[in-house]
Amino acid sequence: MTQSLSVKEKTHRLKAAIICIRDLRHQYSKQAQAAVAGINLDIYPGEIFGLIGPDGAGKTTTFQILSGVMPQTSGTVEVMESNPRDMRLQMGYLTQRFSLYLDMSIWENLRYAAGLREVDEADFKTRSNHFLGLLDLARFKDRLAGRLSGGMKQKLALCCTLIHNPRIVLLDEPTTGVDPVSRREFWDILAQLASTEGITTVVATPYLDEAERCSRIALMYEGKIQQCDTPAKVKASLGLQRLEVYLSIDQLDRAEDMLKHNAEVRESVSDVQRFGARLDVLTAKPKQTANDIRRSLEQQQIQVRNIVTDTPTLENTFVARLRELKGESSVGSYPRISRQEKSSGTAIGAQNLNKVFGNFHAVKDINLNIKYGEVFGLLGANGAGKTTTIKMLCGLLPASSGQVMLAGETGQLRSQQVRQKLGYMSQKFTLYDDLTIDQNLEFYCGVYGVPRRYRTAKKKWVLQMSDLVGQGDRLTGNLPGGWKQRVAFGASVMHEPKIVFLDEPTSGVDPLARRQFWRWINQFAREGMAILVTTHYLEEAEQCHRLGFMVAGELVAQGTPQQVKDEQPGQLVEWECDPLQQAANLLKQKLERWRVSIFGSRLHTILDKPVDRQIPQVENWLQADGIRLQSHREIGFSLEDVFISVVEQARQRGLEVPVD
Amino acid sequence: MALRPKRIIAQTIKELTQLGRDRLTLTLALGLPIVLLLLFGFAVSLKVNQINIAIQDLALTPTSREYIATFERTSKFHIVEQGATVNVPRLLDQGRIAAGLIIPPKFSRDLRRTQRKAQVQLLIDGTDANTANIVRGYASATNTEFVQNRQAAGSTKRETSPVNLQARLWYNPGLKTLQYIGPGALAITVALFPPLLAGLATAREREQSTILQVYASSLTGAEYLLGKAAAFWLVGMAEVLIVHVEAWLFFGIWFVGDPTPMILGSILYIVCGVLWGIFLGSNANTQSAVIQSVSFTAFLLSLQLSGFAYPVSNIPIGIRWISEIIPARHYILLTRDAYVRGVGWISGWSPVLALLVLASFFFFLAWRKLQKMQVET
Repeated sequence: MTQSLSVKEKTHRLKAAIICIRDLRHQYSKQAQAAVAGINLDIYPGEIFGLIGPDGAGKTTTFQILSGVMPQTSGTVEVMESNPRDMRLQMGYLTQRFSLYLDMSIWENLRYAAGLREVDEADFKTRSNHFLGLLDLARFKDRLAGRLSGGMKQKLALCCTLIHNPRIVLLDEPTTGVDPVSRREFWDILAQLASTEGITTVVATPYLDEAERCSRIALMYEGKIQQCDTPAKVKASLGLQRLEVYLSIDQLDRAEDMLKHNAEVRESVSDVQRFGARLDVLTAKPKQTANDIRRSLEQQQIQVRNIVTDTPTLENTFVARLRELKGESSVGSYPRISRQEKSSGTAIGAQNLNKVFGNFHAVKDINLNIKYGEVFGLLGANGAGKTTTIKMLCGLLPASSGQVMLAGETGQLRSQQVRQKLGYMSQKFTLYDDLTIDQNLEFYCGVYGVPRRYRTAKKKWVLQMSDLVGQGDRLTGNLPGGWKQRVAFGASVMHEPKIVFLDEPTSGVDPLARRQFWRWINQFAREGMAILVTTHYLEEAEQCHRLGFMVAGELVAQGTPQQVKDEQPGQLVEWECDPLQQAANLLKQKLERWRVSIFGSRLHTILDKPVDRQIPQVENWLQADGIRLQSHREIGFSLEDVFISVVEQARQRGLEVPVD
Repeated sequence: MALRPKRIIAQTIKELTQLGRDRLTLTLALGLPIVLLLLFGFAVSLKVNQINIAIQDLALTPTSREYIATFERTSKFHIVEQGATVNVPRLLDQGRIAAGLIIPPKFSRDLRRTQRKAQVQLLIDGTDANTANIVRGYASATNTEFVQNRQAAGSTKRETSPVNLQARLWYNPGLKTLQYIGPGALAITVALFPPLLAGLATAREREQSTILQVYASSLTGAEYLLGKAAAFWLVGMAEVLIVHVEAWLFFGIWFVGDPTPMILGSILYIVCGVLWGIFLGSNANTQSAVIQSVSFTAFLLSLQLSGFAYPVSNIPIGIRWISEIIPARHYILLTRDAYVRGVGWISGWSPVLALLVLASFFFFLAWRKLQKMQVET
């Protein structure tokens, strides 16, 4: 095995690519288009290599070929200079769908993973203790995998892929559906593995802020690699600057459309993207464009609060590149059967809602009052009780105590009339895998009694909005995860419900499609729909009218995004420094844990006001550790900052995030 | 590649752990065969104890009454009507009796004469061929009993001529149905669960995509197959043990000869079932497909074509070959031998050999399907 490699071989390997892909193609027999259409790639030892791309770009196919699980149609793949199938013992593969046996405990899962690869007893003991400790799972050794939170499941899956001491790990969307705090933890661990154990990591992720932490990334689209470089170079390749345009949230969509189509600013603006509570405008001439934007928006009576110039993020780059490749997709308008009358009053209400499972208090005294036309975001870490709350609110799960009011009804939540007014998209995929998309949509039309003459229009709309026109006869089970989500979302609103529950609708969906999702959500809300949504993309949550933060079954904060941010103590300071991971690890020791987190290529710290005295101190710490400091600035809180500090502080108070 | 026992054991332990978590399935797997055996055993034995019969006694002599009394004495028959005026054909038409016995007027006279044989007529409702056979068998046995009684008692000094008797039964002289049905039922009751559980476990891994983890390790097809098979073989052997103990406790059947062919056969029989299940599971995309295919091939075909319900010789030639590839057909020969005939290896070697051939064949089928250990495209 690798332990016995000679020094000479080791140095040789440092230079040579550990994974070498030449002209790789793969064609599934049932599909017309090639899933992978000729890619060339070299991945070097110790790298964290990111594979990013929209849904259906061919990422999972590439992983399956790399791991030796599936033979390719043509082309060569070499892992450590031989066939990937013969190198399987040197690799660990974390699959996109559950790779764990949910009816076995943490320890049993690990033992099986080790047994498959004949890890001897002593090694198994030391390694399982080491990794379980590293991933903070040691306490839960005997808990069934099925009863872990999403974040812990993924950590366990990582543990299982590491148990045989592989030289390469292949991670296919390991953090999809994982909350921002656990996501960061996961990446801290990846960085540590790369630096201390020299493990080479290939990772796919729909979170572009994570991709910034890769040493190199490849942008995949339609089975081809469009660009492959370090994140910094990929961003620089755009040759553009980014303007952050801050204005009132309810005017963002209008301003975005205006800037895209206004002849005056069109010339200088390359792209306009909504990001959280602001618009990101990409432009080659920032100064001039800023003035143009200010002027033309003010002509339309849109008040611009502030414009800040910065470099584009990876997400900006990704969205801009995708728009170049795809062209702006035209999405038809939503076909309505009946005019939506604006109802007033409470759509979803809850009073002292509780749920107790055995001796576990999953939901504690929740009070909610969501009006028609309102988008309410329920945020929280994995296992905080969001899904349980939603299930109680839409009547799927009886509450232990407390009252639920739904569409004016308090008792019979499951009656025909109430259900007709509801749309529910659950976290687990709600469509039938063994039916085609068309059949699924037809089924939901039938179940919700959509009149026959409207069905064609409705189904067409869903296919359009999910970018699947002409592919209605594909089996739903064969769709990439992000596409399934889009179809499921379409199916849940086809019958024009008045109240919609969306449980992580955008989980695993690529940034471009997510923006489209939210445009629909906003439009539905304007037309009078009440929407309750959960998400782990906190920048999306900025678009909610009101928010509730759940920690350990309690609603700890509620209000508009601005209110929630204003309640935060301290001042946020953003740092640009290199190497980032080292700086983060250092500051986490010097300051409290919850004050430090990595955001893309930057470091965020929450310092006590006034910050004047603390900033030089932080600078000293960083410089003493040999970290190069490029810049720092004081910025406003984003919801993600708020989330991290709320959850981390709750953890510190001993409010352990429940996992049952 | 050589088999690596450690990996096989890891696979086996994992399957057993999962099965242990699924308490309901495990309970069903071990409990249902018990219930099934009771059903088979009692349902059949109750029926043959309650044969309704009517007797038209045209002789009305002490001898004919004695003959009738022989029928009364066995617990098999329930005499609905008797006398000289009983209308047997009508009672048969009405379905009130399964058989009617007519004793002719000259019965006693013929019995006394040396040259002549006494005649009695038995009319049997042949709608249910199986019951009819059983009735005929009982009737002739009762008839024999009557003749033997008369000879032993020597009721007349002169040598008596026998009542006309043709059928003879071997091996099961008391006509205890359990000894006929029981050993066969033992084979049928354990035919379902080993292949079903193995098939479900195989299809579930595909359905939930956990199989990718197995592919990503370097486990070979044969190792995967053996690991899975071993786990469900253990469960199957537990079933075998349970039903055999049950048969002894409830029905009182015990080995009459050398049981080693049967024990060896049990081992192979379960191996066959498990491998067949894995083969079906590795071809099915969903667990429900496995349930259907296993319950048809492993259970229904075993029930119908194994010689349990009716003799293999009754199966039309055209489809008789199917019964040859049904393991239960061979295993039943072994259980019947162990519990009823007791001949042992003299007739035991060929079914054991047949099971061995079938096990190897099923192993080959499953292995060929699994050997690639890759995603099919």
